[in-house]
Amino acid sequence: MIQVNHLTKRYGSTLAVRDLSFSVAEGEIIGFLGPNGAGKTTTMNLITGCLEATDGTVTVGGLDSQERPETVRRLIGYLPEQPPLYPDMTVNEYLDFVYQLKKCTLEKHEHLDSVIARAGLTEVTGRLIRNLSKGFRQRVGLAQALIGDPKVLILDEPTVGLDPKQIIEIRDVIRTLGKDHTIILSSHILSEVQEVCDRVIVIHQGNMVADGTTAELSKRMTRATQLEMMIEGDTERVLCVLRSVPGVASAVLLERDGNKATYRITAEPERDIRHGVFESLAQNSLAILSMNQLQASLEDIFLKLTDADIPEAPAEEPRPETPKRKKFLFGKRGGRK
Amino acid sequence: MMSICKHDFQGFFRSPIGYVYLGVFAAIANLVFFASCVLSSSSDLSSPFSFLLTVLLFLTPILTMRLFSEEYRQGTDRLLFTAPVAIWEIVLGKFLAALGVILCCLLLTIPWLIVLIIAGTPAWASIFGCYIAIFCATMVFLSIGLFLSSVTESQLIAAVLSFALFLGLYLIDTLSSAATGVLATVLDWFSVFTRYDTFMSAQFSFSNLIYFLSLTALFLFFTARVLERRRH
Repeated sequence: MIQVNHLTKRYGSTLAVRDLSFSVAEGEIIGFLGPNGAGKTTTMNLITGCLEATDGTVTVGGLDSQERPETVRRLIGYLPEQPPLYPDMTVNEYLDFVYQLKKCTLEKHEHLDSVIARAGLTEVTGRLIRNLSKGFRQRVGLAQALIGDPKVLILDEPTVGLDPKQIIEIRDVIRTLGKDHTIILSSHILSEVQEVCDRVIVIHQGNMVADGTTAELSKRMTRATQLEMMIEGDTERVLCVLRSVPGVASAVLLERDGNKATYRITAEPERDIRHGVFESLAQNSLAILSMNQLQASLEDIFLKLTDADIPEAPAEEPRPETPKRKKFLFGKRGGRK
Repeated sequence: MMSICKHDFQGFFRSPIGYVYLGVFAAIANLVFFASCVLSSSSDLSSPFSFLLTVLLFLTPILTMRLFSEEYRQGTDRLLFTAPVAIWEIVLGKFLAALGVILCCLLLTIPWLIVLIIAGTPAWASIFGCYIAIFCATMVFLSIGLFLSSVTESQLIAAVLSFALFLGLYLIDTLSSAATGVLATVLDWFSVFTRYDTFMSAQFSFSNLIYFLSLTALFLFFTARVLERRRH
């Protein structure tokens, strides 16, 4: 559905996005993960056509976004980090304007009613946007993205600044939308990406440092499987039995609690030692009270991936989030976040 | 384009600014009409219209300052730029919306014509010239104001810059009357006000019309270029 090829965006001497390539299949929910200033928003702006790439191409539904910008924009619904709302308008007026702006040809009342229902705005349609809570404003932003029934939704940090209840509500809406849309959402909240997305693309300093499902990334980052077990019995004997199991690289005692103790067992790479450990302990009448396979959490992966600077990157100053796409001749931007 | 035009036109009247604008214009315009036509029993509208241009010189920046600056500040520019509309549609839509408000202002002067028909003998050619002149000159002001609104997110800066530029245009007019020789000819050629006066004296000329239209088109083009550049 979306094909990004060698996308590069340069602001003066600063490279905001460098040689980014990935593809998104139809119906996938992709999470853009990265620290602030990683280039997530810039990448999204490049896909939506809000910004022009220095190099590389973006195709949406097989159409080049630079060659056929207007057609591509019809395929995309975009919710920027700050929802583009007119506070003086009521929700109905605003959605009506967006409907006309997008030159939508669907039956107006039916379509707007369905968008309002999907975004959960039924109870506030007559209210001024300025009087809505942040959660509802985010929903109005989401509703505007849904107008025209675009196949692709691009959501830039859709839950930022919301309270926990609103976050859960918005996530539910996104999950529901994911059933019949291709979605790219950005976030620096790891659990959110883990919860909502099928696949994660980790961006750091404008580079893609990882691409895969959360499970794949986890597997990739866990160099060797580790087990944490609570076993009843003499510690020396337990350690001896554990170390004799084929595939076990090491076994260490972590904590002792009377006759029970917690151990960490590390397997040799690519080995599943769980069956062997269970059988050996059972043969020696050592009771297993608990067994957990340790996996790198997304937090670990994220920190590991983004911890070091990109080696191949030329030394440049770190760039701010949303690298200033706005070139103002006079005055300066501010207060957008 | 029409959706943007309609949205921006209604936007003026969604807040009190549109009504205050029309009210202030109507108050000043009617006062001038009363003083220069009614009291002196004159049916010549060129005098109040001449003053009206100065009024619009000050009022136009108030109208145009928000057109793009406000969009930038609210972040709604992204809605416009990611919608399937061309840049020229956005620029023209906003320009026409502002022009619509100016038309409303001019509609408020229609009662003058009724007064003239009842109480005097209106010189229709001159009156028609006055309306064409003010309409054309205001188009230039609006396009300049729109352009300056597109370069900053501060409404205040947009308005101040517009005032400054309009003052510059006014100075060209003053300089042209003080200058002599080639300089006077050149300044005269550039002067919006000289051409405005020509129009008002019922001397219709295509070169004046083309001057106003091309100056308007030039600033609308600059505006579109600024918006294009923001994508880079």
